[in-house]
Amino acid sequence: MTGCPAKDQDRKAKIVLETFNFRIIVEYLPLYWKCFFATLWLSGGGLAGALLVGVLSCSMRLSESRIASTAAGVYIESIRSTPLLAQLYFFYFGLPSLGIRLPEEATGILALTLNSGAYMAEIIRAGIQSISHGQIEAAISSGLNYVQRMRYIILPQALGVSIPPMLGQAIVLVKDSALLSLISIVELTRAGQILTSERFMPAEGFLTTAVFYLIIYYILKTFSNWSQKRLIFRGA
Amino acid sequence: MKREHKKDMWGFYFEQLVQSIPFFLKGLWMTVALSGLSLVAGTVVGFAWGIIRAGKGKVLKRIIGAWVDLIRGTPFLVQVFIAFFILPEAGIQLEAFPAAVIALTNLSACFICEIVVGGIQAIPSGQREAATASGLSSYHQLRHIVLPQAMRIILPPLVGQYVLLIKDSSVVSAIGVTDVTRVGWLTVQRIPEGIMVFGLVGILYFVICYPLIRLSNSMEKRMTVVTTRL
Amino acid sequence: MKNRKWLSVMVAALFVIGLTGAVNAGTLEDIAQRGELRVACQTQGPPFSFIDKKGNRTGSSIELCELMAAEMGVKLKFLNYDWDGLIPALLSKKADVLAADMTPTLKRAMKIAFSDPFMYTGSVVFTKADSPFKTVEDCKKPGIKIAVLLGSTGETDAKKAFPQAELKSYKGGGPLLIDAVIKGHADIGVNDGSAVTGGLASFPPNSVRILPGMLSKSPLSFAVRYDSMDLLEWMNLFFLHISLDGRLDQNLNYWVNTMDWKKDH
Repeated sequence: MTGCPAKDQDRKAKIVLETFNFRIIVEYLPLYWKCFFATLWLSGGGLAGALLVGVLSCSMRLSESRIASTAAGVYIESIRSTPLLAQLYFFYFGLPSLGIRLPEEATGILALTLNSGAYMAEIIRAGIQSISHGQIEAAISSGLNYVQRMRYIILPQALGVSIPPMLGQAIVLVKDSALLSLISIVELTRAGQILTSERFMPAEGFLTTAVFYLIIYYILKTFSNWSQKRLIFRGA
Repeated sequence: MKREHKKDMWGFYFEQLVQSIPFFLKGLWMTVALSGLSLVAGTVVGFAWGIIRAGKGKVLKRIIGAWVDLIRGTPFLVQVFIAFFILPEAGIQLEAFPAAVIALTNLSACFICEIVVGGIQAIPSGQREAATASGLSSYHQLRHIVLPQAMRIILPPLVGQYVLLIKDSSVVSAIGVTDVTRVGWLTVQRIPEGIMVFGLVGILYFVICYPLIRLSNSMEKRMTVVTTRL
Repeated sequence: MKNRKWLSVMVAALFVIGLTGAVNAGTLEDIAQRGELRVACQTQGPPFSFIDKKGNRTGSSIELCELMAAEMGVKLKFLNYDWDGLIPALLSKKADVLAADMTPTLKRAMKIAFSDPFMYTGSVVFTKADSPFKTVEDCKKPGIKIAVLLGSTGETDAKKAFPQAELKSYKGGGPLLIDAVIKGHADIGVNDGSAVTGGLASFPPNSVRILPGMLSKSPLSFAVRYDSMDLLEWMNLFFLHISLDGRLDQNLNYWVNTMDWKKDH
């Protein structure tokens, strides 16, 4: 009953598994390209939003208004103490109960923005705190108010110093975007899931996905190294 | 009429949620167990890798370095899927929980490795040279001179990394491990009030992570003294 | 020299015989030796396999597996997956049996061996109770958003029936689709009738309407790997026995044909 055919099956299975099925990957390449760009624009949207939210919440955190400072503090600490996935599900399942109907992509970018925004706020704060005190005192004695000090003296310098850690956060953001596949958004990780469920080939599916993510990673890393070299000459 | 109905539904769902609390606590225990195991194993492996990376062996340094880079360059979710779906094809039979522990341990080890390298390299090489001149072997140097001092630099980011890894553990819910996040995901399909359900999930994570973050911050403050008034 | 050649031929022959002998131990024997039947089932697929309000795993397929294990005299181990993870789990030998409401499509049968069907259902279209869609024809509009389950026959049926639609594939189980339709992420959903009725039990009554007519007829079967033909024969015999002695009808009447199970779970 199960004699030779099973042995053949085992042997054939081994051979198939040992040979990575490149043909399938070529066949699915259009899907992977589509998902690659989806990942890029989802991460890009999240990054842009995160910068805005980061600058805003950092300014609030460091302002003299007790209310603004506490509100920003609560926001930042809640984000930092909870996982992105829980936050994503919170918005995805929770917003509709408030009557807010967003397409999945919008919910995904919203979650990415609010999450990375908190970390950006901390990065910018560290950048601000690295600005020499003398500059700030000079600005105060020149009569600039809080908003003007932030806008013309503090933020431009802080942002410059913050670029390397921000790029680090950008890398984190791209990796975080993988979670969006869990709310049925079609991006790189979902491509791997599709290959698994349509063709039963998780190896080809997820290893190809990993390769695409690594491409983005190495591009960002190279850019980060390059920008760090330039900053060393400018800053110090 | 509709408003009252809404309030009733809210109360009804709240009651159901309270009934589900034992399930949430089971999930919380799973998160703690998973994180605990992976963090301990990851710290041991991470320190080993870090010491090698900060040392002299050129080949090993490169291999570990390449692996760490691979892990840092890909999403943890993808790594979890690979551990779960692909390792069995190479002959390693894995269920969800072991696959999760392996993936999380690996992730921890890679990040902790880099922290350890940073700590060791921060020790002025003059100290090591003096130690060698005094006749101390590498092992003794490491044990009595380098590591004790490096620990001061390593500890704050290490604790911070622990928090990050506990949060990353939520990702394993995607392969069916019943941690706190998964309990929330399962529950919200029965109790469709996302804010309540994931509010509870958030509170549970907050209870674990926030104290650790404060600990890490206070450790860091003891090492740098900077105050800024804007 | 001639002796050496003869010796190596003997060794090779013994090796082949030994291998064949070893492989001849079928899956049934493995299960009996292990004392455990490993079942791949869905995490959230009411009424076939789901976690009830007490946190226990239960459902029609779960109880059928319990009967199977009792007849085999072994323990049961449930491994749960999202819908699209079931077949990979079976193929990678994590499980001996796939126990779910899966349709034995010809494409799937290229990879796994299905049992004889234990029941029949079909893909249906469902929508929000107050939506303008009243018949399947109404839904054949371009750009309509359809919620389907990743890797299910509903996904393929929807693609065929509504070629101009925008498909949203959810990873997980049936209840996610109902949730998506109620929340407005999708206009309609397509899934097996039995799964939709079972899933609706957890949602407020009369929030969802099932449109008349089936998109396709689906038998439902369990599955094993092609290297477990002995298990497959046993399972088919098992289904024959429980349909003859009424236990299958009992199971289906409790879980699928009525909402009786809702009282206890």
